[in-house]
Amino acid sequence: MPIGGVVISTRIDDLEVARTQLALLSGVEIHGTDERGHIVAVFDTRTSEEMERLMQAVSACPLVLHVGLTYLNMEDVLAERETAGPSGGSGQGGAGE
Amino acid sequence: MAQTRRDFLKKTAALSAASYVGMHLPADWTPLARAEAGEAWHRGTCRLCGVGCRVELGVKNGAPFGLRGVAEARTNYGYLCMKGMHFWKCMGHKDRLKKPLYRAKKTEPFKEIGWDKALDIAAEKFAVAVKTHGNNAVAYYGSGQALTEETYLFQKIMRGGLKTNNVEGNPRLCMASAVGGYLTSFGADEPIGGYADLEKAHCFFIIGSNTAEAHPVLFRRIMRRKLDNPEVKIVNADPRVSQTSRIADKHLQFKPGTDLSLLNAMARVIVDEKLYDQQFLNNYAVFKQGKEAKDASFEEYVQFLAPYTPEAAAATCGGGLTADDIRQAARWFATSKGTVSLWCMGINQRKQGVWANNLIHNLHILTGQLLKEGADSLSLTGQPNACGGVREAGGLCHILPGHRPVEKEKMRNQVEEAWGIPLGRIPAEPGLHTMDMFSAVNNGKLKAIWINCTSPAQSLPNCDLYNQGLAGDDCFVVCTDIFKTRTTEYANLILPTAFHFEKTGVYGCTERRSQLTRKAVKAPGEAKPEVWIAREWAKKLAVKLNDPVIAQCVKPFDGLEEDFALPQAIWDEYTQKLTKNRDSDLRGATYPVLGRMADGVQWPAPTEDFALKGGTVKKFVKGIDPMADSESKNDLPYQFYGPAHEDRKLWIWLRAQADPSEIPDAEYPFYLSTGRIIDHWHTMSMTGRVPELLRANPYAYVELNPKDAAKLGIKPGDMVEIKSRRGTNVLPAKVYEGPIEGMVFAYWHDQEQSRMINKVTKDDYDPASKEPEFKICAVQVKKVSGPQPLKPFLVGA
Repeated sequence: MPIGGVVISTRIDDLEVARTQLALLSGVEIHGTDERGHIVAVFDTRTSEEMERLMQAVSACPLVLHVGLTYLNMEDVLAERETAGPSGGSGQGGAGE
Repeated sequence: MAQTRRDFLKKTAALSAASYVGMHLPADWTPLARAEAGEAWHRGTCRLCGVGCRVELGVKNGAPFGLRGVAEARTNYGYLCMKGMHFWKCMGHKDRLKKPLYRAKKTEPFKEIGWDKALDIAAEKFAVAVKTHGNNAVAYYGSGQALTEETYLFQKIMRGGLKTNNVEGNPRLCMASAVGGYLTSFGADEPIGGYADLEKAHCFFIIGSNTAEAHPVLFRRIMRRKLDNPEVKIVNADPRVSQTSRIADKHLQFKPGTDLSLLNAMARVIVDEKLYDQQFLNNYAVFKQGKEAKDASFEEYVQFLAPYTPEAAAATCGGGLTADDIRQAARWFATSKGTVSLWCMGINQRKQGVWANNLIHNLHILTGQLLKEGADSLSLTGQPNACGGVREAGGLCHILPGHRPVEKEKMRNQVEEAWGIPLGRIPAEPGLHTMDMFSAVNNGKLKAIWINCTSPAQSLPNCDLYNQGLAGDDCFVVCTDIFKTRTTEYANLILPTAFHFEKTGVYGCTERRSQLTRKAVKAPGEAKPEVWIAREWAKKLAVKLNDPVIAQCVKPFDGLEEDFALPQAIWDEYTQKLTKNRDSDLRGATYPVLGRMADGVQWPAPTEDFALKGGTVKKFVKGIDPMADSESKNDLPYQFYGPAHEDRKLWIWLRAQADPSEIPDAEYPFYLSTGRIIDHWHTMSMTGRVPELLRANPYAYVELNPKDAAKLGIKPGDMVEIKSRRGTNVLPAKVYEGPIEGMVFAYWHDQEQSRMINKVTKDDYDPASKEPEFKICAVQVKKVSGPQPLKPFLVGA
């Protein structure tokens, strides 16, 4: 269950609309905005695949200029890997998984 | 309890993001829980591109669990890109190489062996090659991803121990033209300024770089500058409209290979409209022409520019831009309060790569858009240590540590004295450059090659040609790496290495900045740091060749533990003995100093006190650069002291438009260009193993302009054959208003044989820099089928 901290950039004129749109996305928690068009948000998803899809969805939002990651915690993924044994386990495989 | 922990992590994530933009979250946001016992954050540098982002790796119970940016680091101010955020997943990956692997013949399967035997074999094969075929029958091919300590030690053993300058690295494929450009225009390698100029610039000229995807963290800074200051102008010049173009005020879309015309036309506008800085030219610049660098006058330069009218250049560039577009771009460039140019492989990977670099520098010298805040001619680098390790520490066949040319006896003697080896030990002739090195593998002249941390079997242009030699048993191939690659398929001996944060060492990024990463995690299995591998190999070589000078090369490091003391001793020798009084003076950047700095030190930094202030933000500026002060010859504010220009001047070059070595014709009617995509890096051996990144782009595809696609009857997803005079790929189509009409574009990351685009690219190279012209070749394009199911592919997965 990864958790990401992000700064989303928009044009200032688009900020409020972008904030409203992003708040509708499951897994996005918006924690603040500023006068420069920044939106501080936390992405909280069940799996890394969901995190990936969420990143893509936010990046594809027409009003979003940039999504800047600042923090990523995947300790649950790590725990899953440990449970799966030394070969790597969930989320750590190579191509074709 | 689990909920409390999760609340804590979410608040930590929000607070970290808010801190980077100076946003204050509510006062009751004090985290509810503290970090768990056994959890620690270790500071270092991102493993991937050349930006040099500072990161902190979260480690718990000996295993990494997360990553965060370092907010006070001037490289990235805490931001990271998607692939940078995931690089640490290579640690502990199931595909990691954990034991040495050996096979006598390349048709045999590998067998696991112990380290002592592995190093004994490596030493024996190199020793036999030297005794039988001479010192130049062996070679080292390194990487802009190797730590500085690693590059330095390998080249010391090769040059001082084995008496060969056959020392190269993959930056020859990406940065050599930039080196040539800086040396011939400014007299000194590497940028004058750096990232600090991005927040001060009023005009950005981005050419031959998809910064948004290849250097996303720097792109964010440029974008931020533009959003906060709408009057800032951004010009993006590129044959392909990319994500970078989104923020541009003007996109100059030119036909591949016509960039020299465009740049000369901009210079002509600047001259015609008297937008140049006469005082700056009088004080600091001269004009040069020809191979012999003969003096030219300003009048001769004006005469040279005469044919490059904006109208003529617009026609040469293919009609995708107008004469007025060129005039406007030139005016913005010349008249802004500060202009920063940024470029990357689109300029460097050209038959005229050095010339193209020169012409960008010309614009800056003409207009005085240098040395002041917000102005710089800033070459972006693609690898994390192409500058620090390979360009500065002796990783190319013609350059000794400390920016010393091999062919100068005085320079060789300085190195020999520093190493305590006999004068004359280092050969006077430069070694084989990259393309000649792999040609020598093909023609049997090289009998043993050590390939460290790179995959030339995939990254060389026209790679099938060079892989023929690597596949044969005439040349013994040692590979040091963390994963199997296309190149380890041709190895006799694969030695497993420690990954980033599993060892200690320094990376030097784009802006002359050296940063330390300390070991934080144990390497898997029997994987070892390269500095240990090189030292132990050299000791065995000394015995087998009965040569005490080889032993002398590693004697200062004998017995030191490999996790910290060994790399520190190597760094100390390099910086204290070989950068002293050189333009890349790093004596102040000791491990203790680097350990205290959030974002390292920019050279020159001759003392620890100066290094603790961050070093030199802007070279050649008196009062900022201590060497500009110590070298000062007059009362002018700037002092150039680069080793390549004895006249201590900046050189404006008369460089004419010249076609690439292959242009489309009736048989091969399209241009092919190649590049990066945001989710992957280089040959994908790392990013392909991060599921989040692999899923985002599981395989390469070819971009076509909609008009070309319509003419060829190609629809999105159709399988398309791309064929050149050298090789063929079959790739799914992406129809996109990106490439200029008549050009297709493909990503070069994919390891699958039918999608390895370097089978198709061209191996002609710039005669000055020896950097191949990856970016331009002529191809046929045709649909072979409708959409097909494809699978991603990685060697060893």
